[in-house]
Amino acid sequence: MVQYNFKKITKVPTGKDFVDIVLSRTQRQTPTVVHKGYAINRIRQFYMRKVKFTQTNFHEKLSTIIEDFPRLDDIHPFYGDLLHVLYNKDHYKLALGQINTARNLIGKIAKDYVKLLKYGDSLYRCKALKVAALGRMCTVTKRIGPSLAYLDQIRQHMARLPSIDPNTRTILICGYPNVGKSSFINKITRADVDVQPYAFTTKSLFVGHTDYKYLRYQVIDTPGILDRPFEDRNIIEMCSITALAHLRAAVLFFLDISGSCGYTIAQQSALFHSIKSLFMNKPLIIVCNKTDLQSLAGISEDDKKLVEEMRSEALKTLIGQGGEPREGAEVLLTMSTLTEEGVIAVKNAACERLLDQRVEIKMKSKKINECLNRFHVAVPKPRDQKERPVCIPQAVLEAKAKEAAAKESKKLERDLEEENGGAGVYSASLKKHYLLADDEWKEDNMPEILDGHNVYDFVDPDILQRLEELEKEEGLLQEVGEEDEEMDVEDLTPQQQKELAEIRKKKSLLIREHRIKKSTAESRPIVPRKFDKDKRFTSERMGRQLSSLGLDPSKAIERARSKSRGRKRERSSNGDMDVDDGGSNKKMRARSLSMAESRSRSRPPTNVLVPGEGYKDSAQKIKAYKLGRNSVFKRNKDAKKGEGDRVIPNLKPKHLYSGKRSNGKTTRR
Amino acid sequence: MRLEKCWFCSSTVYPGHGIQFVRNDAKIFRFCRSKCHKNFKMKRNPRKVKWTKAYRRLHGKDMTQDATFEFERKRNRPERYDRNLTENTLKAIKTIDKVRSRREETHHKNRMKGKVAKERKEARKEHDQQLHMLIAPGAMVKDTSAAKVTVKVQHESDENRMEE
Repeated sequence: MVQYNFKKITKVPTGKDFVDIVLSRTQRQTPTVVHKGYAINRIRQFYMRKVKFTQTNFHEKLSTIIEDFPRLDDIHPFYGDLLHVLYNKDHYKLALGQINTARNLIGKIAKDYVKLLKYGDSLYRCKALKVAALGRMCTVTKRIGPSLAYLDQIRQHMARLPSIDPNTRTILICGYPNVGKSSFINKITRADVDVQPYAFTTKSLFVGHTDYKYLRYQVIDTPGILDRPFEDRNIIEMCSITALAHLRAAVLFFLDISGSCGYTIAQQSALFHSIKSLFMNKPLIIVCNKTDLQSLAGISEDDKKLVEEMRSEALKTLIGQGGEPREGAEVLLTMSTLTEEGVIAVKNAACERLLDQRVEIKMKSKKINECLNRFHVAVPKPRDQKERPVCIPQAVLEAKAKEAAAKESKKLERDLEEENGGAGVYSASLKKHYLLADDEWKEDNMPEILDGHNVYDFVDPDILQRLEELEKEEGLLQEVGEEDEEMDVEDLTPQQQKELAEIRKKKSLLIREHRIKKSTAESRPIVPRKFDKDKRFTSERMGRQLSSLGLDPSKAIERARSKSRGRKRERSSNGDMDVDDGGSNKKMRARSLSMAESRSRSRPPTNVLVPGEGYKDSAQKIKAYKLGRNSVFKRNKDAKKGEGDRVIPNLKPKHLYSGKRSNGKTTRR
Repeated sequence: MRLEKCWFCSSTVYPGHGIQFVRNDAKIFRFCRSKCHKNFKMKRNPRKVKWTKAYRRLHGKDMTQDATFEFERKRNRPERYDRNLTENTLKAIKTIDKVRSRREETHHKNRMKGKVAKERKEARKEHDQQLHMLIAPGAMVKDTSAAKVTVKVQHESDENRMEE
């Protein structure tokens, strides 16, 4: 019995899609290459395979459609009728029939063309046959396109039908439109049915579930029924009629005694009488709703009479059930869904009646005999004739009575919240029920953090005592440890301190220089002293440094000067005979003269005009000489070999041509 | 809300700061900032990283054992609220803090005890040994030699007189 599997029906593709799917499958899953040079059998087989494959695919897919859709005769009559009401049985069957015929047609086409293909004599003919076969199959499919679309629509709607189990405990709610059926189901179950002031808000069946005595009950909300002849009813009303007709459920007939639904009690009771035939064998309860607007006692005499009539009808069903005649109040109940009084009573009454009825039926049926052996109520055997009634102590009885009274007057937190402004405004005090030594402390906020510590870590019942001990300890420690360190070692005098500071400065300077030298030593060329640009190493400088150290530099400077090679010295090698000079002259004589020096000896002095050189006068010659010397001087300072030494080791050094500036622009480089 | 300790540097992690890392064996590592977190990811041992509390405690730079530390212990069972107890606790926290900081100061002082004497000794040594950077030994010797000469003369005259 497929009740819930309406959701599992596979999607029905449209005609075009269907064709596309099958043909693309054929193309993908059969071999695609064939040449006219092949053996004819091979060509025939190739094309026959295609035709057969296409046919099997169509057959498969159409069969799944036909099998997935339920057969209206095989399912529960409730669903059968419901589907008939919604989709019209005949159309449904027709559509499925069309699909079936299409399937058969396609089978026939394939058979015929395969037979023809067996005798195809060339590639072209076989191919044409295959094309014709596939074409005809596709046309057939395209012709059933509208049926496929219709079936897909049905499938989508069916999947959305409420999942009603026709065999379990069900409560059915019926009545005129706008009497309060959907509000009732909203109140007792978790269903969220639309409640609006206009009629026919509920357009289809809705299911909710509720519990009673540990059993689950289905509650079905139906669309409202109007009092019309059977043939004039529309689909929506037919849904509820079907439900009433087929489901074995407890029926709650809703009556709006205030008339705010737009229909008088007379109209409603007329409806009741017209559909009372559907209430055969079903536990019926008449529910008067909207008592907050109009109570049952306050209606007019005629209406009261009508209500009494309905009640007697309902009683008939009750007695007809064969149960013990209970009070008539069980059949007619009042409630108001707005104020929620009587709602639970109605639900309980309905559930109880239904349960009783079902149990009775089960007892009467044969099935119960199989289970009955499993039930056994054990009763202790009385050992004597003494009566032992139930014994409840008086205190318990009193407490129970009190509790019952208190329950009614018990104020819930929820009520409190509503009083004080609702959920967003009022926040319940969670500390209300704290058990503390002193009740004044209940609403205290205890700080969790203080000065970078967690307060909870320090909380300790003996903290005071321990604190005292600590303070005592601390006091002792303070007394003990106040000895001042005597300075055995004396401090330096201010003069010495100054000197020390200078020493340290000089040392740090040396260290820094060394670090710089160390890092650049490999990249710096060792430029000979004669090209010393910064003139760092002059004898005056040496003199200054020596005198700063406290020494007399004059002797050292003289010595240095005498040792250095200068032109003047060279020339006057036979000149002054100081003691020092003599020493240095000896050294000089021992050294061999360089070529430049020897040449400079044999050359005439610069300011003497030599005729072949091309100078106007000696002044010009001197100027030319000076200009020449200047350029040489500059080149020598750059450690270049000569005019032609134009090697630039790094033509475009990266640091000049790249990089962003932290401030300013880089438009000029 | 709790103040936690950073696993790496042991500073307090306030709410809204830092990262918590939960390892597969369910051990939780809390870090106060990305510096500690990155150090942890580099698998550095906090006992070897100079600026962490673990290093300082291990190498005796900060005090390790003290009665004041016993007051702060994570308690797993909460006590029933008692206003007086809470008041006392809050006051106690402040005094305990004072006591602890005083003790830490004394610890630091003890650690630095001989520092001034040592520094002075070193300064004196450096001064004596490196004085030649300012005043050349020659200059110094000259002064003394001049002094010596005068003394010698005096002595000679004395001796002559003595002989005579």
